[in-house]
Amino acid sequence: MFGSGDIKTAIASLRASRLRSLFTMLGIIIGVTSVVTIVSLGEGLKQQIGGQIKQLGSDVVSVRSGKLVSRGNSGDINSVNLLAFLSTSTLTNDDVDTIAKLSSVQAAVPINFVTSSAKGSAGSSDNLFVEGTTYQMADLLHQKIEFGDFFDQDTSDNNVAVIGSSVAHQLFGEINPVGQTVQIQGSDFIVHGVLAPTNGGLASVAETDFNSAVFIPQQAALDLTKGKSNILQILVKSKSDHLDQTVQDVHTALLKKHKSQEDFTVLKQTELLNIAGGTVGSVTRFISAIAAVSLLVGGVSIMDIMWVSVSERTREIGIRKAIGATNRQILNQFLIEGSLLSIVGGLIGIIVSLIINGLLRLYTGLEPAITVPIMILAVVISVAVGIIFSVAPALKAARKRPIDALRGE
Amino acid sequence: MALIEIKEVSKLFGFGDAATLALDEVSLAVEKGEFIAVMGPSGCGKSTLMNIIGTLDKPTYGSYLLDGRHASRFKSTRQARLRRDRIGFVFQSFNLLPRLNVLDNVALPLAYRGASTVRRRKQASDMLEVVGLREREYFYPGQLSQGQVQRVAIARALINKPSIIIADEPTGNLDSIDSRVVMELFSDIHRQGNTVLLVTHNPELTRYAARVIYMQDGRIIGDERTQIGDIAKGARVSHYRKHKKTDEDIVAGVSALMGKIPAKELQGQPKKTKSRGRKRALSRKSKK
Repeated sequence: MFGSGDIKTAIASLRASRLRSLFTMLGIIIGVTSVVTIVSLGEGLKQQIGGQIKQLGSDVVSVRSGKLVSRGNSGDINSVNLLAFLSTSTLTNDDVDTIAKLSSVQAAVPINFVTSSAKGSAGSSDNLFVEGTTYQMADLLHQKIEFGDFFDQDTSDNNVAVIGSSVAHQLFGEINPVGQTVQIQGSDFIVHGVLAPTNGGLASVAETDFNSAVFIPQQAALDLTKGKSNILQILVKSKSDHLDQTVQDVHTALLKKHKSQEDFTVLKQTELLNIAGGTVGSVTRFISAIAAVSLLVGGVSIMDIMWVSVSERTREIGIRKAIGATNRQILNQFLIEGSLLSIVGGLIGIIVSLIINGLLRLYTGLEPAITVPIMILAVVISVAVGIIFSVAPALKAARKRPIDALRGE
Repeated sequence: MALIEIKEVSKLFGFGDAATLALDEVSLAVEKGEFIAVMGPSGCGKSTLMNIIGTLDKPTYGSYLLDGRHASRFKSTRQARLRRDRIGFVFQSFNLLPRLNVLDNVALPLAYRGASTVRRRKQASDMLEVVGLREREYFYPGQLSQGQVQRVAIARALINKPSIIIADEPTGNLDSIDSRVVMELFSDIHRQGNTVLLVTHNPELTRYAARVIYMQDGRIIGDERTQIGDIAKGARVSHYRKHKKTDEDIVAGVSALMGKIPAKELQGQPKKTKSRGRKRALSRKSKK
């Protein structure tokens, strides 16, 4: 149907009005750029969240304060209860002990949030996770310890701390501050280990970005807060691979302990991923839909220009028909021109969004990820836009009567 | 059976009170291999007749048979193929595509036939050789003289080896030397057995034709067979007859013919041709 000659002709006539072609493509370029950038941001966010969850092992179950999600009959998560995130912790150290004693549980550790401020020899930070936990945390962590090691049963009586890689940088200005002192609420803690950096980021499902975490022994944490605890979550390591059984056991035990008031949530890692991914996904879709409007505008501008082009080139159409072009051949000519405009626009859009992604990675904490399916989809959509919006002008051109077209009417 | 048979063809433009009768029950038969010159004042329907023969336009009434078939009733695609394969057009205003180079312009009808690029270029190049412009293959129409542009247009008309050449005032924008070159080309085409229909204002050009048709007010008023090489007798007669009508006809656009009496034509003043074109345009407007 389309010969290489047709495409050459189309390129020639687009080149002849270069500036106008560029302006026409601008709508498509902006549309594709914004859609691709937003989708890749969402995709990047999902991957970051996924990465964070992998900081813990897949055999780890998380018990959260408050009933965060409602479940349907099949046990799938129906909705997220936002207010539950705001309540004070409903979990206690007794809960940790109860869970730890269950037969299907290998270990249970509290994540007791103490403060967000700490001071080191080279500086201080007010945006950290200072958390009390037990030595068993070392088993749950899927993360390598780069320098030193985690505190063990013997050393956990002392004032020691295990810190994340960015904490090391912020407080000490070096990558291996083992043996130095970090000051938390006036007390000194000796750095015992430094975690390897992870692809952590902003939104943390584990409610902890391990890069900016400072783990201290639970007893020391309780001393700092005068016995009060603020347990964000209890991480539970299952003995067997039957996670569902473990979840069931933990749930039953806690429900009994909390006097049948379900003010806690037992979540598997995959469920956490789904909640976070689902939220990010729906926000991404929403913003993409808004961005897609600009694609529509781009399409309309293509139609506009094609319409003008058909009117301007009436005589050319007449000449082509006089020397034997069929309606179909004229139609194809304009369809090719329209879709060429949008393909090139789409490709430029992808290139621009790749550049934007690179800049975002360089200058912000965001890590957008462009995947091949997104790019293919962008090209397909822009071709579709080009063809759809060229049809009307191309039909107009094709249906001109040769004699009228030759007279330039 | 005649190659072209026009039977009582009428053509109306516009509607109601504004309707003009461009052709008034014209009948004409053209045999294969004829060289016909069509003469007549502006607005007499010459071009309309040619457009109908070339299937660019459809008659309002009457029938047009090409090879015994009702070409005017073909579907648009079949008409397009007919124009592509059987008919070559040469226009007064050349009608080349300015954005394509000479070679691609000539090759365009082949492209619509679906020929490969290599074959297209080769054939177009050969055709340009025929009109003596092979060394200008990669020029653009804007870089050539008008005479050369018209020769390119003729090459384009011939590329698909059509049997009918329709030339609507092909020398109207050319000076006398270019006109002669172009007319010699048509003469060659005719000698190869093709049918040539030539619309002209210039009685001098009837030398090339074997048959001259005179038109006025949408009718054929004369049909004269002449010897090739001689100026048709009617050509002069029709001139002087128009001349007598004076003022009214000048307004009506017949003045166009006056500017072209043979003596002046031989001097070959390009300015004259220009002003003639303008008057014609004016007169066409005033007629509508």
